[in-house]
Amino acid sequence: MRVVIAEDLALLREGLVALLRENQIDVVAQVQDGPALLRAIAGHRPDLAIVDVRLPPTYSDEGLLAAIEARRRQPALSVLVLSQYVETAYASELIGEDTAGIGYLLKERVGDVRAFLDALRRVADGGTVLDRQVVAELLAPRNGVTEALSGLTAREREVLALMAEGRSNAAIAESLVVTPGAVEKHITNIFAKLDLPACEDDHRRVLAVLAYLRVAR
Amino acid sequence: MPTLAAGLSIGEYARSLVRRLAFLSAVLVAAIWAIGAQGYFWPAWAWLGLGDLVLLDFAAGWAWRQTPGAVRRVACVWAVVGVAAVILVFTWLLTWLLAGVETFWPAWALLGLATGGSAYSLIALHDRVLVAHGRRALRARIDMLTRTRRQAVDAQAAELRRIERDLHDGAQARLVALTLQLGRAELRVNDQPEVRRLILDAQREAHQAIAELRDLARGIVPPLLADRGLVAAVESLAARYGLGTSIEIDTHRGLAPAVESAAYFVIAEALTNTAKHAAARRSWVRLTDEHRVLAVVVGDDGCGGADALGSGLAGLRARVEALDGSLRVESPDAGGTVLEVRLPCG
Repeated sequence: MRVVIAEDLALLREGLVALLRENQIDVVAQVQDGPALLRAIAGHRPDLAIVDVRLPPTYSDEGLLAAIEARRRQPALSVLVLSQYVETAYASELIGEDTAGIGYLLKERVGDVRAFLDALRRVADGGTVLDRQVVAELLAPRNGVTEALSGLTAREREVLALMAEGRSNAAIAESLVVTPGAVEKHITNIFAKLDLPACEDDHRRVLAVLAYLRVAR
Repeated sequence: MPTLAAGLSIGEYARSLVRRLAFLSAVLVAAIWAIGAQGYFWPAWAWLGLGDLVLLDFAAGWAWRQTPGAVRRVACVWAVVGVAAVILVFTWLLTWLLAGVETFWPAWALLGLATGGSAYSLIALHDRVLVAHGRRALRARIDMLTRTRRQAVDAQAAELRRIERDLHDGAQARLVALTLQLGRAELRVNDQPEVRRLILDAQREAHQAIAELRDLARGIVPPLLADRGLVAAVESLAARYGLGTSIEIDTHRGLAPAVESAAYFVIAEALTNTAKHAAARRSWVRLTDEHRVLAVVVGDDGCGGADALGSGLAGLRARVEALDGSLRVESPDAGGTVLEVRLPCG
């Protein structure tokens, strides 16, 4: 896997580079701002870009905008956006119409190295990874969505949250310590209760759930 | 005041009569002198007397038109002084022309009149001058305080944004780098459970600190407001409160950070109150920017009866008033609550 990193804080950037190299991931370029990211992507054509939301010179959202632009130029590129805080609005913009190869995580998730590397690989393989804090906010009580969600059992809500985070059925089963068959049954129930069209593969399911939660368009 | 047919008051009619009689008399004495013996031009003295009469009438009229009180009293004094001075000077002129008196004898009398008039004016207008000066000073002070308070509020808002940025990009980022290092260390000590446990404990502490810093920063300035401004932040707020909140925004220009923050926290507090207490089906947010005033209106169709003096609203009011803004709450027991805030934004 070939990776470009856009992060302005040297300490964190070097830590990430070291971590990835220790795990046989090829870091082909490290940059500190949006334009440099776009140049690096055009030059190296990496599989994955890891991008900090706030980059110089304004330290607002240029990392996010650069990531979206990079995806527009190279639709096959996977993007993992890291941020000190999560905003559902940013998640929506990042996902746009296609959840394939998109990740949006709080920066501190890098501390849990195994889970972080797993998320990285899932995104690079075209999966979706949403931070559990974004998902918690999406599932928080609000008008419109709340009523339908209140029809779900506690376990179904857990499964829904894990699906929205982008977990595969197997991963959900492992994390809830149940059989894959049980997860499958929960998912069928959830889709029936939320009146969503049934679909077989994981990715389409995530997309349906995120569209339901008004994250994907 | 009684009037005559021509629309003049009796007083005005009398004065105009006096002026005409004076003019006729002046012509008459000149004619008598011309017809008679001629020689010494005595009608000049009659002219002086008649002229004084007209002058006195004019001066009195002018003085009476001044603002009542000290100013009119001073004007009366100066009218008398002026008439007296004119009489003295003309009398001297006639004695010089007709009798050859060269010494300017009215000098001391004129000096006395001027001194007396000035002294009276000073005493009478003393208070007025002081008050006017005081008012000017007070206005300058109010202007200065208004300006410097606004500067202080703006500086504080800018400083808060800098602190928010520093928290995210400084302390929080360093803690993230720390958890990353700890994570890498943890991978290397799989065979030493005790060391591994210590590392995981340290990591948990770091995560706690990161979460606290993030909450702190969000309380200072929500990241979306800092990154993208008021409109994006309000849209996100409305989305969080779900389908029932409609928003209408008519402001495009960049606003001062202090105004943006105040407007944001007003809307956030109002929507929170609506969600908590109003049992509303529908709520709305309207932001308009007209005539250098940002108007923020948040309303709902809930149960009404909100306490306008409650602690949440009192805090908002203080925040709004620091920007010379105003806050109004209408929440009748019959239902519905509307909160309107107006913020001057230059």
